[in-house]
Amino acid sequence: MLEIKNLRVSYGNDIILDGIDLNLSRGETLAIIGESGTGKTTLGMSIMRLTGDGVQGSINFAGEELLTLSEEEMRKIRWNRIAMVFQNVDNVLNPVHTVLEQVAEPMVEHRLRSKDKARERARHLLAKVGLPSGRLSAYPHQLSGGEQQRVLLAMALATDPELLILDEPLSSLDVAARSELADLLRKDNVQRARLLVTHDLDTAAKLADRIAVLYGGKIVEIGGTDDVLQRPRHPFTRALIRAYPNMTTVKDLQGIKGRMTRPVSGCPFHPRCTQVIDICREKPPELVWNQGRAIACHRGGIATILSVKNLSKSFGRLKAVDSVNLHIDAGETLALVGQSGSGKTTLAKTIIGLHQPSGGEVFFDGTQVVNRDKGFYRKVQMIFQNPGESLSHRLSVLEAVMEPLEVQGVGTKEERREKAIEVIGEVELPQTEDFIHKYPHHLSGGEMQRVAIARALVLDPVLLIADEPTAFLDASIEAKILKLLLNLQEHRGLSMLYITHNIAVARKVSDRIAVMLNGRIIEEGPTNQIIAAPKQAYTRSLLDAASSLHRFETRGIK
Amino acid sequence: MHIDLKKEIKESNSGRIGIAVLLLVIVLAMLAPAIGRFDPIQQSAATLLSPSQNHWLGTNHVGQDIFSQLLYGARTSLLVGFGVGILGLLFSILFGVSAALIGGVFDGVVMRIVDAFLIIPTVIVVILVAAYVKPSLLLLILLLSVLSWPGGARVIRAQTLSLRGSGHISAARTFGAGQLYIAWRHILPDLMPILLVEFIYGVRRAVFMEAGLAFLGIGDPMAVSWGTMMHDALHFSYLDVWRWWLVPAGVALSLTIIGLTFLSHAAEVVLDPRLRGGAVA
Repeated sequence: MLEIKNLRVSYGNDIILDGIDLNLSRGETLAIIGESGTGKTTLGMSIMRLTGDGVQGSINFAGEELLTLSEEEMRKIRWNRIAMVFQNVDNVLNPVHTVLEQVAEPMVEHRLRSKDKARERARHLLAKVGLPSGRLSAYPHQLSGGEQQRVLLAMALATDPELLILDEPLSSLDVAARSELADLLRKDNVQRARLLVTHDLDTAAKLADRIAVLYGGKIVEIGGTDDVLQRPRHPFTRALIRAYPNMTTVKDLQGIKGRMTRPVSGCPFHPRCTQVIDICREKPPELVWNQGRAIACHRGGIATILSVKNLSKSFGRLKAVDSVNLHIDAGETLALVGQSGSGKTTLAKTIIGLHQPSGGEVFFDGTQVVNRDKGFYRKVQMIFQNPGESLSHRLSVLEAVMEPLEVQGVGTKEERREKAIEVIGEVELPQTEDFIHKYPHHLSGGEMQRVAIARALVLDPVLLIADEPTAFLDASIEAKILKLLLNLQEHRGLSMLYITHNIAVARKVSDRIAVMLNGRIIEEGPTNQIIAAPKQAYTRSLLDAASSLHRFETRGIK
Repeated sequence: MHIDLKKEIKESNSGRIGIAVLLLVIVLAMLAPAIGRFDPIQQSAATLLSPSQNHWLGTNHVGQDIFSQLLYGARTSLLVGFGVGILGLLFSILFGVSAALIGGVFDGVVMRIVDAFLIIPTVIVVILVAAYVKPSLLLLILLLSVLSWPGGARVIRAQTLSLRGSGHISAARTFGAGQLYIAWRHILPDLMPILLVEFIYGVRRAVFMEAGLAFLGIGDPMAVSWGTMMHDALHFSYLDVWRWWLVPAGVALSLTIIGLTFLSHAAEVVLDPRLRGGAVA
């Protein structure tokens, strides 16, 4: 019903939309999501032909090419067969007419109904969108923002359009009004096609059948709503979901590093992407379709950084790690949860090569790891449980942080020193001469662990294995270290294997949880699912035993 | 654990005594040509003179100045002592650290060799070999070193094994560090206190062995040594000469060994805080 092909919109020299391809069929709701400034609204406006010149490509609406229609023909379609609910309510309503008149106006304008019939329908529509009957003859400025929004919706529905474009229809409403109006939109005419433009993932999740993710004027991912929201494959989509406060995900909110910049050569997202390879800077990726899902990424979406296949480690007859399979995506945190003695640390040490595996394979970035050479350790680093032990008592803060650079033979002494001091700042430690020459026994536990984290980061690794990094710290320091790790993940796109016995910590820091028991992984899945609906009795018992501020008797889980 | 070795030793009484005594011996040995007025080997006067203005401790049976011999004897003792101390320790480190780090068959072989050496009574072997070869000073140092490393190697290996799994060494491995780097940058510095104790032990044993061999008359007969002095003096024990010939040499040797013992005791206390008296500051 609506078919957009290679749509390019520019204002002057600024290209706002760049090669958009979209299909929308009757009865379908497609959500366009993205940050502000990505061109979402422009997309809606260009379908209405409200963007002026600088529009190229093709917009085919029910067999008619909108971009070549004369203004006269377009006017017949606009507000009649295609209607739009604008985002900015203040400027749309005419301050000198009552709302009833305004809702009736398009019907009269398009000669669909007589004035009286139009008023009657307007009254009906306004009642339907939930405007109190006493406010029909009010002027726009006498209404609240939410009421104005309802009026706009009634206006858009007045001509019973075939295509309804909703630009942030619920954004200005409070939570209660929002779900009320969302219900209303859901129950609305099933034959109507809807294009929902929003930055609000909740609205998209509630209303849309499919979601298209827009970034920098390009579509980076399209797919079914559940698919996209639960299994995002483009780094931007995942980042967007991570930044969105909601009741489904349990990990602490994370922003997206940097800001959107334009114009950008190559992939529009590459300046903020954390898995960039050379080609990302040079060539924009094509949108590639695969089983109802499309993604525009040179790396085929979020890359798998580490995968472990049937990894085993035995000490004599004891199978400490028993045929473990797991994978970690770029920029993702996998929490490995289990009681002490379950083999978590052994697994970590086997992955990083402090133990020789008894069997199985480890793949890093798609290549099998056989000999862990210096190159491997530039990409994979580890933070140990006890910073007091993992830092040599003979090395000062600066010397400790410089050590990996020395081992790897990176740069000159001066460059190493500079890099080390930079990273010391990054982990929020003072960069003063006084501090960097302190020895571990002059530092607090939290400071020591920060030094250890700085030391692990100084080589700019891709994967960080954190083995109970907060086990020796009190709660307030622990919180700060966890925040630091999350921030580092946001800025550096670190992948993390986070080992903990505390599922309450895992819940806050991880995207996925793997539960380990007696050397095996017994359950694995997205953190929210493991927390909300654990499948294994053991996982449930871990949840029961986890920290809570409720009295024992009142705990919900049995 | 962060120990300031130098400071701790200087602050203990036995440490201070040990250092003072050793320094005295070292200074006298270094200044021997300046203090001693005669060549210790050349005949300088009539034989078996009593102490006098010229010859403070008289002369021996071939007319050599005993006081000069005493001073130059300190040089021999210290040379052999420190020579064997350093060389033996190097052997100990080389085998102890490498056995622990490399492990496996290499470790097994080295440890069996150590066992074999420890079973053989060193003194007898040295006496036999020395009696046969009549070693020069250099050869003696080599011989004693070769026989003295196994004990130290075993201690160093054990300590390296326990260090090997420690956090900062695991961490260094995860930076991509090789065995040599780890041995040099982490193991050796961490071993320092133990190396010091082993070194002092080694020196003490070597000083004693050198004197003992010379006393038995097996050493280099041309070398000036406290052991040789005592050996020669004993032949004239029926005269009064033992008072200024036998006793000073014996006292000098005892002092040197006592100094080393005090020092090693101080170093041990530093290593094992349980041996410290009173509260730890």
